[in-house]
Amino acid sequence: MAVIEYILDLGPTVMLPLVILVLGLLLRQGIGKSLRAGIMVGVGFVGVNLVIGLLTDNLGPAAQDMAERFDLGLSVVDIGWPGASPMAWASSIGTIAIPVAVLVNIAMLVLKMTRVVNVDIWNIWHMTFTGAIVHIATGSFWLGIVGVIIHSAFVYKLGDWFAPVTQKHFGLEGIAIPHGSGTWSAPFAVVIDSILDRIPKIKKLNFNSEKIEERFGVVGEPVVIGAFLGLVIGFLAGYPLSDILPLAIQMGAVMVLMPTVVKFIMEGLVPIADAARGILDKRFQGKEYYIGLDPALLLGNSQVVAASLIFVPLTILIAVIFPGNEILPFGDLATIGFFISMAVGIHHANLFRTLISGTFIMVITIWIANMTIGFHTKLAENAGTIDGGQVASLDQGGSPITFILTELLQPQNIIPLIIIGGLYVFSVIFTYLKFKRGKMYDEEKTTGVESE
Amino acid sequence: MKKVLVACGGAVATSTVAAGKIKGLLKENNIEADVQQCRVSELASKADSADLIVTTAKVDRDYGVPVIHGIAYISGVGIDKTNQEVLDNLRS
Repeated sequence: MAVIEYILDLGPTVMLPLVILVLGLLLRQGIGKSLRAGIMVGVGFVGVNLVIGLLTDNLGPAAQDMAERFDLGLSVVDIGWPGASPMAWASSIGTIAIPVAVLVNIAMLVLKMTRVVNVDIWNIWHMTFTGAIVHIATGSFWLGIVGVIIHSAFVYKLGDWFAPVTQKHFGLEGIAIPHGSGTWSAPFAVVIDSILDRIPKIKKLNFNSEKIEERFGVVGEPVVIGAFLGLVIGFLAGYPLSDILPLAIQMGAVMVLMPTVVKFIMEGLVPIADAARGILDKRFQGKEYYIGLDPALLLGNSQVVAASLIFVPLTILIAVIFPGNEILPFGDLATIGFFISMAVGIHHANLFRTLISGTFIMVITIWIANMTIGFHTKLAENAGTIDGGQVASLDQGGSPITFILTELLQPQNIIPLIIIGGLYVFSVIFTYLKFKRGKMYDEEKTTGVESE
Repeated sequence: MKKVLVACGGAVATSTVAAGKIKGLLKENNIEADVQQCRVSELASKADSADLIVTTAKVDRDYGVPVIHGIAYISGVGIDKTNQEVLDNLRS
């Protein structure tokens, strides 16, 4: 026992590497490969802590100054999924989440409850995040594991339900996307699409998305978004120019450096991911199965790209307008397309509809993310990433799955729970029924004429 | 030396897997190339300096550089064909 406690006390930058090393050996990946993988995960953590430090130490105070001067919220920096995922991996739930999520998948496949064979080990972090937040909220490790189980089982089902959209609209044969922010938000888009279908005139409305990427492509580049936000926030914080310009460059640097350091965690997970895929591939192969992959697959689609470009400023606008919002969107802006990617397919690439449902999705996301700041900050402290201040993330801190589960087990925000829970459960049931009737994606459907 | 850009949504997860596999492939075949990762949204400005782009996301834009859809590196289905495409592109 003393040994375990000693190791736990060394913190996640040491513990998870050890776990990865042991898992690698158990999965017969060899000592060299397993050792390297473990160290790589540790390297990723060190890098992430440096970059999150750069972000919160510089943008944090500026955001607070800006918030005070203009009586705005926006004082808590959104660290985005690149910041949130390492914290989930670093939690005690993170050490056993991968086998749990894979076992849930295998059990559901054997029981024919899903057709999704999830080989995307990285995105188990979403399920891990839910488990870790439930653990922090309830104080119970086992309830945290139950959180991982429920979240993973639910998203494998979402993968099944939206497979027609993934395959027919995005042309990804034999593939399902069982996780990520694009998939959890999709049931809202299904309901909104059906409502818009019933409104005369509105149902024919569409915008042309063709020129958006050409015209605004450079502006949508993460490094430019980061530098621009640094510039604007430094200015609004009342900084002198000699502080504004360095802040702009630093925020550009955060956007560039973030994936560069987070990817080391993924590099460390590769041997485990390969082994898990080997196990799944051997048993579940053939036409009746879908391969469960990362929502990144959708982000190259030109209509998703166009919508993403619009949602960078739109999300900031929603954050400014939303009453009582404390979160300054930042880390998730570089990949804001994740949130609306599946919606684009559900709306048959109708940009007008994507704007409507995407706005709704971002409002709900920002609302929830505000209520998880406390837990998220605790998660960041446990991971050793921050030791002061507060953090938030839109992905996964703003997800209804995490929120509803946590609130049901440890109620704190009853009215938001009833509203968000009610809307979400209704949307999920509506989505399920639509899937059951075989109407998830009607290839014949056209939604309105394109207009300039 | 030729330069390969490997892109996905966030330059973290799938592109890391694909880049790892491509580096291994090039080593086996004694091809020297610089394999770099980036986000899909960065391709437009980085494409100029690249000889080949491999994306796990399905991009439908023309960057003036050959683009290979590298989803096989993630799904495992059809990986030999994708490997061949990569080799053909870098050898030519």
